[in-house]
Amino acid sequence: MSTNRWLATGNFFTSYKEEQRIYRTHLDRSIFIVFLAVLFIWPLFFPVKNSTMLVIDNVMIAMIAVLGLNIVTGFAGLISIGHAAFVGIGAYAVGTAVTLLGKNHELIVYGWPVMILLGGMAGAAFGALVGLPALRLKHLYLAIATLSFQIIFEWVIMLMSFFDQGQTIAVGRVYWFGGKVLRQQHYTFWYYAILVFLILCGFMVRNLLRTRHGRCLIAVRDNDRAADAMGMHPGFTKVYAFIVAGLLAGIAGALKAYLDRGVGIESYTLHTSIEYLAMAIVGGLGTLNGSLWGPAAIQMLDLRVEELAELSGHYLPAELNLATALRPLTFGLVIVLFLMFEPRGIANWWRMFRSYTKLWPFRY
Amino acid sequence: MIYFIQLVVSGIVVGCIYALAALGFVLIYKSSRVINFAHGQIIAAGCFIAYALTVWAGIPFVISFLASMVITFFLSMSVERLFLRRMIGEPIISVIMVTIGLMSIIDGLIYLTPFGSTNYSFPQILPEQPLVFGGISISWPQVMGVVFTALMFGGFSWFFKRSTIGVAMRAVSDDQMAAMSVGVSVPKVFGLAWAAAGLTAAAAGVIIGNITGLNFDTLRAVGITVFPVVILGGLDSIVGAVVGGILIGIIQQFASGYLDGTYGLAGTADVVPYVVLIVILLFKPHGLFGTHEIERV
Repeated sequence: MSTNRWLATGNFFTSYKEEQRIYRTHLDRSIFIVFLAVLFIWPLFFPVKNSTMLVIDNVMIAMIAVLGLNIVTGFAGLISIGHAAFVGIGAYAVGTAVTLLGKNHELIVYGWPVMILLGGMAGAAFGALVGLPALRLKHLYLAIATLSFQIIFEWVIMLMSFFDQGQTIAVGRVYWFGGKVLRQQHYTFWYYAILVFLILCGFMVRNLLRTRHGRCLIAVRDNDRAADAMGMHPGFTKVYAFIVAGLLAGIAGALKAYLDRGVGIESYTLHTSIEYLAMAIVGGLGTLNGSLWGPAAIQMLDLRVEELAELSGHYLPAELNLATALRPLTFGLVIVLFLMFEPRGIANWWRMFRSYTKLWPFRY
Repeated sequence: MIYFIQLVVSGIVVGCIYALAALGFVLIYKSSRVINFAHGQIIAAGCFIAYALTVWAGIPFVISFLASMVITFFLSMSVERLFLRRMIGEPIISVIMVTIGLMSIIDGLIYLTPFGSTNYSFPQILPEQPLVFGGISISWPQVMGVVFTALMFGGFSWFFKRSTIGVAMRAVSDDQMAAMSVGVSVPKVFGLAWAAAGLTAAAAGVIIGNITGLNFDTLRAVGITVFPVVILGGLDSIVGAVVGGILIGIIQQFASGYLDGTYGLAGTADVVPYVVLIVILLFKPHGLFGTHEIERV
């Protein structure tokens, strides 16, 4: 991979074309296609509980959002502490349409793919707006700009009666070729919808990184003066990193609005932003598959923590609210420990596992 | 007119407390270039320690105030030793993310204590009647805040001007390499900067706790209000912290005094500082007194 700065030794590319290739061999490509096919057909063979499907859906939405965060934080090297606000922009784009047109308007229930793309556009527009200071600033200051965007976003939503002061705005049930998507099929239907969007976004990011613009991001992250000298524009590069991040976040937000069948501020607060950051760090900043590992790992951890809190709730006094305490504690610990001991994240474990299995039984 | 003056005066008073809160932040940034996102949590911790000592352990307020400052001094020094010391030499972006993680960890730890869910208030030690000068009133805890801020800033300027350690800290903030080559231990200076930041954070926390009561969310929010203050004043300027703090205090008071209630707005004091922040970032990113080191990229 051209983008992998942890590339294992012993991989010698003889041409640029070879280096930019997504799949190294035909076998890689076929394995990947089979894997995608499995993703599409497994719900047909295993009966899945709705609650399980909801978790999977939420993980996949987080994956789309973290892909965006990884563009801006991992590849472009700009910390964003307002990513949940971008996701919220996407969700509230749907919310705005619902408030203006009514929750069962044709555009919302039939034209939902359009709405999701519109959510992405809205996210991208706000990404450009927040990224604008990047034209003059280096990354430390941008972290603060994103933080203030998060706070202003929350405040605006909580203030405006148009958005119901952050209360949930209900979104109607969507229609598909088979008619209305009913309660029973809701989560499975959205599993497929989110999966399609996730795959499209994944390929978009993967292909972006193969282009000149993707390499620009990495060059600017590693040394913006050198990048400037090589004829790139670091300021604009950072702004479009924010635009791409906003686009992906907006798509994730609109999907979440449809999945939850409602838009409420509590899913888009500063805590969620930190959660996304934790996902990106745990998965591995600056890696594509890291943005897929991270959300899955954090969500699993979150479920375990919730179970633990529930279990300990039987033994501990009621006023000690362990659930609210344990979640930030574990997120913080996970962020700090990963940064201290495995800054390359789970993606690195995956890399080691892959090279181990590829070369087995030889060590080199 | 009296309303205007009242707003200015209370803005200055609130701003002094922001300045005190921002002082610790600036100390850390100045020495180690780390933006500390966990500052609000340290402020809250200092306040809660003082409360626990005063009310639960029954120690007189003044002694527990000083004790809480000493405790947070060592607390944040050990935070630096445990988490930040290992990150020296790592890219600055990871160090900042460690402080974001720390913010989350301290949040969790405070939620484990009763302070996370319950509101307390300090026992009344200062007279309840506010001071009144010709129609302008200031409450006693606020007076205490202003006096304490002045004392702290006086103390720190003496410390940086006269004491050997202070001079060493200034040397490190000026040029780490040069400081190292004349025998200043840079890690020790980082630790001291964090410790001093903890000390001022506790002072700020206790004063804010006296004014608004011990609400975790309010105290934590101060750590975020510090950002507009330091961006306005300049991230690495102690004078900037004072000026920025007072300006942001006045802006907040004007916002809540004149904007709230018009056009259906409410709670503007919480958001106007951040709008100011973004405007400052766009047009004068190094703030009023910060060094002009930010290059145009």
